[in-house]
Amino acid sequence: MTEVKKTYKHYVDGKFVRSESGKVYAIDLKNEKYEIPLTSKKDLRDAVTSSKAGFIKWNSLTMYNKSQILYRLSEMIEGNKESYIILLQDHGLSKNEAKNDIENSINTIIWYAGLVDKWEQLTGNLNPVAGEYFNISHQEPIGVTFTLNSNSISLDDLVKSFLPALTVGCSVINFSEKNAVIALKLSEDINNSDFPAGSLNIIAGKFENIVEDVGGHVEIKHAVIYDDISKESKTIIGEKGSESVKRISFQPPTSGLSSILPFIETKTVWHPKGK
Amino acid sequence: MNNWEYAESIESEKIVNIEKKYGHFIQGEFVSPNSKKYLDTISPSTEEVLSSISIGDEKDVDFAVNAAKEGLKQWSKTSPSERSKYLFKLARLIQERSREFAVLESLDGGKPIKESRDFDLPQVAQNFFYYAGWADKIDLAWGNGISKPYGVVGQIIPWNFPLLMLSWKVAPALATGNTVVLKPAETTPLTALLFAELCDEVGLPKGVFNLVTGDGTTGSHLVNHKDIKKIAFTGSTSVGKYIQKSLSGRDVGLTLELGGKAANIVYNDAALDEAVEGVVNGIFFNQGHVCCAGSRLLVQEDIHDVFIDKLEKRMQTLRVGNPLDKNTDIGAINSKDQLDKINELVNEGVNDGGELFQIECELPKNGFWFKPSLFTGVQANYKIATEEIFGPVLTTLTFRTPDEAVEIANNTEYGLSAGIWTEKGSKILWTADRLDAGVVWANTFNKFDPASPFGGYKESGFGREGGRHGLLSYLKASS
Repeated sequence: MTEVKKTYKHYVDGKFVRSESGKVYAIDLKNEKYEIPLTSKKDLRDAVTSSKAGFIKWNSLTMYNKSQILYRLSEMIEGNKESYIILLQDHGLSKNEAKNDIENSINTIIWYAGLVDKWEQLTGNLNPVAGEYFNISHQEPIGVTFTLNSNSISLDDLVKSFLPALTVGCSVINFSEKNAVIALKLSEDINNSDFPAGSLNIIAGKFENIVEDVGGHVEIKHAVIYDDISKESKTIIGEKGSESVKRISFQPPTSGLSSILPFIETKTVWHPKGK
Repeated sequence: MNNWEYAESIESEKIVNIEKKYGHFIQGEFVSPNSKKYLDTISPSTEEVLSSISIGDEKDVDFAVNAAKEGLKQWSKTSPSERSKYLFKLARLIQERSREFAVLESLDGGKPIKESRDFDLPQVAQNFFYYAGWADKIDLAWGNGISKPYGVVGQIIPWNFPLLMLSWKVAPALATGNTVVLKPAETTPLTALLFAELCDEVGLPKGVFNLVTGDGTTGSHLVNHKDIKKIAFTGSTSVGKYIQKSLSGRDVGLTLELGGKAANIVYNDAALDEAVEGVVNGIFFNQGHVCCAGSRLLVQEDIHDVFIDKLEKRMQTLRVGNPLDKNTDIGAINSKDQLDKINELVNEGVNDGGELFQIECELPKNGFWFKPSLFTGVQANYKIATEEIFGPVLTTLTFRTPDEAVEIANNTEYGLSAGIWTEKGSKILWTADRLDAGVVWANTFNKFDPASPFGGYKESGFGREGGRHGLLSYLKASS
């Protein structure tokens, strides 16, 4: 029997889609070669539209609910562990390396799943102001977030490029280039984990094709670059982003409390005390 | 309605001693500028020249940054508890000399003495006191991963709260172990120059605090200096964008505290007299030269007429005049430039069709003044309803439902502050959750405290000043 080969598509708004441009780029693995949809400027805009709606849906879920959805993602990966190991081996990892990486990714997801309903107790506090006021600082998600992942051959690195943002309630457009097959395979498990449509979009292509738009699109509230990109690209994002005072982060921390700090906005509320 | 007659009660200017000419404060001493260029700083209430200050050029800035680099060697060897003590000492000295600072602030900037004396200076001292106590507890604030200073920090501050903004910038920067090059605003440099003298007096190691005076070009040299590791800026959104753009592609930290067009939402179940006080304070505090000023009054439609009536009556009691008169509520507009901007926007508001109410009062002959003003009958798209005016001008819009109030409040690129007036607790919390604003005042407005983080959402900037969160603006995260 002839083997059926999988066509990898982008994952946008809860659906598996090709690029509107019809263009693809190739990822050549040891045993298989894949044609991956190449994100166009229009694809990015579509993803942002979806992410905007996805942010409202994701952020309106209770922390408990979000926590369970992230936990479910780890369950899905656990069930498909073998297929991930094979895929990572096809990318050049040894069986052991691949197995460790998948197990690490599951642990990472569980760590963040457990943080969803706790982080605000670590980042927010009452402020002891000098006067008869109730004064509290708490945090809100910045909103639609674009993340360029680190492009390493690692499921663990990949999940670390969207979990901090999702944990605090941001929606995420996650962008891959070299590791797109891993990301697009993961999108199948994301699709089975009850994420609201648009809360986590997975797209792929050549970052230099969209770098200006990532900086310039005013509905992308935060551009986060986990990969080591060129100074030229950093300058473009910075210059375009400055037009809307965009939050931009280059290679922020990927573990611990400091990993979520770039994704939150502090709101301080005052109220007088009295009789 | 007649104003009560008040006898004048003028705070004496004798307490201040202003030099004819000032240099920069670099490496622990005042130095003549390399530029050999000076500019006059005037009193906006009399237009009298108070002094000449140096305009820093590229070499002056370079000299100051190098001094801060040298200072960093010493400052990083200084133990946290010693750093803490320097800041405590500064707080104490500021308290001791606060009358002098307050008079100087009102002379140079035009703000009423009752505000510089009772608001600015107490807050300045408290701010140094507050951050002094953090200096030896940095690792407790956000954990070990976030406890390293940037190094040499460039700070650029505005003219509306000159010494207070200095304290917001300098105290947390020094507490976290950074060294500073500060550029005060060109129209209000005098209190910063007096602060420099205090740094010398407490024996702060040379180069830890450096001051370069000048105009926008001086600020630009500071932003573009290759050895600056972080820029902290408070000022207009347009300059903030320019700075963010200038730093693109460079590994330099940035926090921005920019403009605002805050909504002050008055629901029909508010305590109306208290709300009137809050709305008046929200816009007329410091002549409306406040980035978080409640410049958009959002009043529920069914109480519009009664509320505006009360508001106009209250506005008429405001006393405009000599900043050094202890009775004065509204002082001078900070500069001719700013007065021109206010005039332009107000004229545009009238031409657009807005209805303008201004209080009846006599304005002094010399200096820059603007009568407290209120617009009604305004459409949401008028410039007067969307652009930051930074003056004593309030614009009224109406709403019918809480959802509509939130929608109008958030319909701006800004997101610095907002106010909510209602006696219903659940409505406060519901509204506060939905406002895109870094600071929300419920049944109060324009309250500040060193322990309370301040800063904006959206195009009002990023980063916080004040509180535990303010430390993050001066600490680098390491993974």
